[in-house]
Amino acid sequence: MAATGQLTTAPARGGVSAVTALRIGLIVAALLIWEGLARSGWLYRDVVPSLFAIARAIVVLLTGGEYYFHLGVTLGEIAAAVAIGGSCGVVVGLVLGANKFMARAFEIYLYYLGPTPKIIFFPVMIMWFGVGSGSKVALGALSCFFPVALSVAAGMRQIDKVLIRVGRSFRADTRQMITKIYLPAMRHPIINGVRLGLGIGLIGTLLAETKLSNKGIGFLIINAYSTFDMPRMYANLIVLFVIAIGANALVGRLGGLDRIKR
Amino acid sequence: MTTPILVADQLAVRFETAEGPVKAVDDVSFSVRQGEFLSIIGPSGCGKSTVFNVIGGLLAQHDGTVRVGGELIDGPHKSIGMVFQEESTFPWRNVVDNVAFPLELTGMARDKRVERARHFIRMVGLDGFEKRYPGELSGGMRQRVSLARTLASEPKILLMDEPFAALDEQTRLLLGDKVLQIQQQLQQTTLLITHNITEAVQMSDRILVMTYRPGRVKRIVEIDLPRPRTSDIVGSEAFGRYVAQVWSDLREEASRGLKDEEEHMLHEAQP
Amino acid sequence: MNAAARHAVSRFAPVATGVACVVLFFCVMEAVIRAGILSEYIVPPPTQVLAAFGEVVTQEHIVRRFFLTIGECLMTGVMITVFGVAGGVLLHRYKLLQQATETWVAALAAAPVVLAYPLFMVIFGRNAWTIIMMGFVAALPPVILKTIEGLAGTRKVLVNVGRSFNLSASQQFWKIMLPAALPTIFTGIRLGLIFGLINVVGVEFLINYGGLGQLINDLAERYDLPGTYAAICFVILVSVVFFMTLEKIERWLRPVN
Repeated sequence: MAATGQLTTAPARGGVSAVTALRIGLIVAALLIWEGLARSGWLYRDVVPSLFAIARAIVVLLTGGEYYFHLGVTLGEIAAAVAIGGSCGVVVGLVLGANKFMARAFEIYLYYLGPTPKIIFFPVMIMWFGVGSGSKVALGALSCFFPVALSVAAGMRQIDKVLIRVGRSFRADTRQMITKIYLPAMRHPIINGVRLGLGIGLIGTLLAETKLSNKGIGFLIINAYSTFDMPRMYANLIVLFVIAIGANALVGRLGGLDRIKR
Repeated sequence: MTTPILVADQLAVRFETAEGPVKAVDDVSFSVRQGEFLSIIGPSGCGKSTVFNVIGGLLAQHDGTVRVGGELIDGPHKSIGMVFQEESTFPWRNVVDNVAFPLELTGMARDKRVERARHFIRMVGLDGFEKRYPGELSGGMRQRVSLARTLASEPKILLMDEPFAALDEQTRLLLGDKVLQIQQQLQQTTLLITHNITEAVQMSDRILVMTYRPGRVKRIVEIDLPRPRTSDIVGSEAFGRYVAQVWSDLREEASRGLKDEEEHMLHEAQP
Repeated sequence: MNAAARHAVSRFAPVATGVACVVLFFCVMEAVIRAGILSEYIVPPPTQVLAAFGEVVTQEHIVRRFFLTIGECLMTGVMITVFGVAGGVLLHRYKLLQQATETWVAALAAAPVVLAYPLFMVIFGRNAWTIIMMGFVAALPPVILKTIEGLAGTRKVLVNVGRSFNLSASQQFWKIMLPAALPTIFTGIRLGLIFGLINVVGVEFLINYGGLGQLINDLAERYDLPGTYAAICFVILVSVVFFMTLEKIERWLRPVN
């Protein structure tokens, strides 16, 4: 990732920095263009609905109880997917990171199978786990497993070797080595692995819901599409994106809570 | 004469490389008396870090034996404390938690170990920095934290591998003073691996000069400078004579090492 | 055994073990399914899948489908390169713009953009453009971010060399900064292409249109189990080869690392 140089530009009169002003300007311009397009009638009706229609749809969505039922289903599926895929990933990653032989034998498969489209496994998941939540969780777990395993394995290998020697020179036993040296030394790769796993597990689960489901956020999105209720679709997508980006930022913030430089 | 606290007998280490076995260390024998400061000096590639790892118990495959207080070593011995050359403080722990680490491993209660850690933090001159994290400290301060951490385990023998190699000359001289002060205060038996002649002469009672690979004991020089010492002796005549003596032995080995390296690189560059 | 032979064995032993384990796994699967412990209507035996492979290749116009998918990926690739690099250069040039929008680009990278595919279907219809645009949006952020990173990471000393020769700003950019940034930029394009392929195939599957992704959907809806498995394997294979090729190209561009 490029270094985000958060320079402190001196605030202009009124206490608003140039960066904030530009951001607000860009957002306002985008909204105005949107509303203009919506009212112009150039595009097929409702492809770009008026901002007010979208806002109304968001309010209707969030105030109706039904949304929260679907949200609950989806969150449950994501949680299960990330828990299963993530924990398997951590265990496999620890083994591969610690043992050179295992890594040379098996890691290459994870490395090359990782960047492949997992949604295509969905028909197989349906066959194995049925048309209910099981297949969604399975697909989410499958998606989430690879990045977590690879991150953890890489993280283990990046531990500053001298720290391991320090632990051994003080004759720490295995449990102490794991809890006092390995895990703290790997906190950054683990947090990043969890973030990645969460993001990818979320996508996998939701895509599966859009393909075949009668519950969940994915279902709501595809349902809005099939009834051509565009404001409702936009509303669902916007709320979903806010939740996803928020969760990602939260995990990142939790990981950065320490003052550690290395 | 007091019986030696550490005896290394005919240490030899061989490494397997793609081009066949390489002898890093061959027939190194020496002993260390209680309270003594012994430096092991040699050119790069003489195997002194290998000796460090063998004595520290981190390198199991070797010929010959190392005994501490009569006991044979097979793994890190509880009487030996190691200070490594590289940055080795735990970046996720603050200073006091770093220094208290060995005490934590033995299960000492929190209050007690914080108190003990504070004692050693003061000894290395870092009082006031207990709550800081290594990332906020300079290189020299971090090495002092590593030293305090090892001292906190109260080892009978302090084993250090070029701990000041990464620091600038002036910091090194000052830290050398500190180490001398601590060693004299605790009467700590110390084994220092170094490539720096001034450092070796400044601190040691005896200096063991190693040959280039395969590392053997070339000579053991007795340093008969008065104690207690400080970095002031760096200018004295006797000091200069000792440095010259060590350098004349070392220079031969160092040039052999340089020539060997150059030949190696020429070989590699050929298509 | 002499040292060299021992060294060679220690290099190949793990790889051989890995391969052996994979082969063993498939043999065990074959045995377990034929024995009836695992129903062959849920998991077809590997030999059946292999046989279906042949059928899929000959009967399902695999070549046409393959080129359709690759064509979509290529289009995505061209678009992300043009707009991604241009965007990155723009953001690098106008620092204020970079400070304002870089976190947005990073957020876009983290967001589940592909879930908006029903929206894109409404806008573009159920056709290749939805697929291409979906790939484009998903794959754009890494190219932009890596372009910025590459340009920003030009070693100060190289910039100073340019200044010492009194190069104009434009010369400085084309002769020093851009060439220095190319390896990192290509890493971004590689990442983008991978996301692109994943999303292209994924969306083909989801909207049941296109090349390889659609093939899987088709076979699944026909309840052709061995065929579905075979098609999935084929797509995974294509994906892996694609990834390996990109890596080779990147290593060729960045020989000393």
